[in-house]
Amino acid sequence: MVTQPIVREFEADLTIVAASEVATDVLALTLAAPDGSALPPWTPGAHIDLVLGDDLVRQYSLCSSPGDSTQWRVGVLRAPDSRGGSKVVHAELRERGTVRVRGPRNHFPMVRSPRYLFVAGGIGITPMLPMIADAEAAGAEWRLVYGGRSRASMAFLDELAVYGDKVSVVPQDEAGMPDLDALLGSPEPDTLVYTCGPTGLLDAIEARCAASWPVGALHLERFSAKASDTSGGTAFELVLQRSGLTLEVPADRSIYDVCKAAGVSVVGSCLEGVCGTCETEVVDGDIDHRDSILNEEEKASNEFMMICVSRCRSGSLTLDL
Amino acid sequence: MRVRHDAGYPRNAWYALASSAEVTREPLGTRALERAVVLFRTTEGAVVALGDRDAHRPYPLSLGRVEGDTIVSGYSGFAYDRTGACVRVPSQEQVPYGARVPSYLVREEGDLVWVWFGEPSLAERRPPVPTSWLTDHAWETFGGQWETAANVRLLHDNFADITHVAVVDPVISPPTLVGVAPALEVELTETTVVFHRDWPAAPMPAWQASVSGSSATTPYPQREEGAFLAPGLWADRWDVLLPPEEGGPQVFRFTHAVTPVDDRHTRHIWRVSRNFAPGAHASEALRPIFEAYYVKVREILETMQQVIDRDGYGEDVNVAADLAVLQVRKILRRLLADEG
Repeated sequence: MVTQPIVREFEADLTIVAASEVATDVLALTLAAPDGSALPPWTPGAHIDLVLGDDLVRQYSLCSSPGDSTQWRVGVLRAPDSRGGSKVVHAELRERGTVRVRGPRNHFPMVRSPRYLFVAGGIGITPMLPMIADAEAAGAEWRLVYGGRSRASMAFLDELAVYGDKVSVVPQDEAGMPDLDALLGSPEPDTLVYTCGPTGLLDAIEARCAASWPVGALHLERFSAKASDTSGGTAFELVLQRSGLTLEVPADRSIYDVCKAAGVSVVGSCLEGVCGTCETEVVDGDIDHRDSILNEEEKASNEFMMICVSRCRSGSLTLDL
Repeated sequence: MRVRHDAGYPRNAWYALASSAEVTREPLGTRALERAVVLFRTTEGAVVALGDRDAHRPYPLSLGRVEGDTIVSGYSGFAYDRTGACVRVPSQEQVPYGARVPSYLVREEGDLVWVWFGEPSLAERRPPVPTSWLTDHAWETFGGQWETAANVRLLHDNFADITHVAVVDPVISPPTLVGVAPALEVELTETTVVFHRDWPAAPMPAWQASVSGSSATTPYPQREEGAFLAPGLWADRWDVLLPPEEGGPQVFRFTHAVTPVDDRHTRHIWRVSRNFAPGAHASEALRPIFEAYYVKVREILETMQQVIDRDGYGEDVNVAADLAVLQVRKILRRLLADEG
């Protein structure tokens, strides 16, 4: 008898109740269960997968209100250099159509704080919308700096207007790039920084926060994997404690792949260290973290790892699987 | 390098403090999340939850009386409105400036009174989970409640895996539970864990056959489901899949509201609902069977707490069946971390 457990995420075909171009190249999709039943709960910073084809799964932040369990909304930028996901969304998804979704999950959770600095670049505004609604309702001090190419390309400016001067809109064609040195040059007390946007912006913010801000103040979410050295992986022994299996991970294969091939149920989605679905508890081993999710503190704790990209430096790794 | 145990519980969650019927125009004193709470109903029937301690002297408001929409201390005579503000003192005209007791948001759902002790602005964004079967007349429900002298995490661990039932209570245990458990299937969202197993066909337990009038010897496929829906709510079910000509599936729903009282005590409100054998007679036959099982579980969890108190947390060995337990712990850890 098979006793190996199976784990997967909530998955459903949802109806597209609205699809509208809310800015140049940005399509907002409002999704609901076909029978109008409640969707799973979520918190600000959460994202879902849109399953667009067999090997075409993309992550989009939820940008509606967590208090509304009947509808989800995502904003999708048509990216010219996209790997194909956003093109399919723009070309094929229509109002009253259906799309398969998975999740929600959250690797950009909002930690309570008396003060927040939100920095959004382009479509990175989407996870910020529910976050600033929460911060505003909680009476926290906050400001948002929202950069983009031009006003026409910047989505949800209308929804942000109600917040007045707490929101600084910085269209590049009018005002250049946000002045990160002025924003982040010196750390502000009791302030958490939340940022989402293109890699260049995030790398620049990360560098400034690393220089002077307290560890743990910066929370960021990347659209795509951080550039990292993925070479030099070595083979190691993999012990799966709960399954009672010992496997060999060759230099050219991931832990995730090796587990799947051995019939061990693991969940994964992006498989490039961005989405966090495959986070797994570490029992023992020296981890070579190669993901774009865990912060330095989390990496140093050696408690969890993303088994799609991260590896082991010592000869043997034991996981709680 | 693993975290050996997880302390604490999320405050930004709805927790059940009482059944709706218990909350009347007579004040009801209780404890939750390390504080004293008094519950009462206004003239319009709305439930009010306030800190159960007079602002004047350390005397519980629950030992006073409800007057109109206020509660009056049985010692000082200070009267507090539904927001907790002191509105009247007997000894002077002037109400002391700023005199008040804490007030908490309340919702009634599924004939239970749910209270929010966390950040008030988040309550609207995280409404209580609907439990419609508890008030739907298609379901017959009975239940009970008590305080278990154990940390809420031990209750979560218990509900996340039912394979212990056959060991703990052979009477209540469906015969199919004996033997190796079929594969557990776990479905995750950001804040919920739902799991199920399809058990091989086996007869239903004798006690179920006797109340439902169904065969005690015919094997039927059976399905187990457990659902961690919120830090204060589990909703599990057991389906015995009878064919339509025999009346269709006989379903039990088990609702467990768990509320931390402090780090060693948990309020456990349990409900057993069924879609078959309606009527008080069947309920009275079933109640002692379930109550005896839940009492055994309570005693076991209290013993575990005593072991932890005496010897600390150990390095528990996890098995395949613990997959759901581990996912629930992960969610609780995350929600707790969010609170900063």
